[in-house]
Amino acid sequence: MKLTSREDNGIVILEPKGKIMGGPDATVLHDQLHEFIDQNKKKVVIDLAKVEWMNSTGLGILISGLTTLRNNGGELKLARVTEKIESLLTITKLITVFDSYDSVEEALKSFA
Amino acid sequence: MIDNDSFSDSLTFPSTTDQVAKADEFLETWLRKIGVPEDTIANLAIAVTELVNNAIKHGNKLKKNKMVTVSITYASGNIEITVADEGEGFNPENIPDPLAEENLLKEIGRGIFIVNSLIDDVKFQFPPRGGTKVTIKKNIG
Repeated sequence: MKLTSREDNGIVILEPKGKIMGGPDATVLHDQLHEFIDQNKKKVVIDLAKVEWMNSTGLGILISGLTTLRNNGGELKLARVTEKIESLLTITKLITVFDSYDSVEEALKSFA
Repeated sequence: MIDNDSFSDSLTFPSTTDQVAKADEFLETWLRKIGVPEDTIANLAIAVTELVNNAIKHGNKLKKNKMVTVSITYASGNIEITVADEGEGFNPENIPDPLAEENLLKEIGRGIFIVNSLIDDVKFQFPPRGGTKVTIKKNIG
């Protein structure tokens, strides 16, 4: 997995690419999320459009980010969730936990 | 070994988390060679990486001297994949329900549930000599 990030009006947009399956790779997203929280950047959008698939490790990272941000007064939103990941979110009932949007722009607007 | 419409191969590796990607590459390479549709490849890869993560972390408890083996057999449209570790085994019945309200926000505990959701035929075995062996089967017609 590769990870890039950018900011838009104080909102962090994380853009993972590839597969999130566990191993050292997966900690990159986890560490990056927590680094932003440490920097008091607590509004985060994860753009999942370029993630081929993820397993429960990936879901665990998303939950960790969500709960850590919420516990610190922030929020995590998902954007452009692929069909494969949406299917996993549905069978694990996590679809009820995350706010997800069809585009990054809509996710950004939701913070207003 | 590879034949016209059958083959078997396996990959054995130590219990370090950097091996998960190698196991996935091994699996996906074979699945593409036999023409498995991409969506099915993704489901099998998700399931197998769940099992490999479990084998490394929970089975072999990250002990580098304990090995994990991923085996794949293909014959007449039937794919059989086995993930085996050298750990102490576990009771699949004792895994907490990841859909229960109190578990919904837990970061771990969904692996086996996801495997069972994606794959129709999943078999857990606990050989007398120890370890856990999980076999998943898929027919691609």
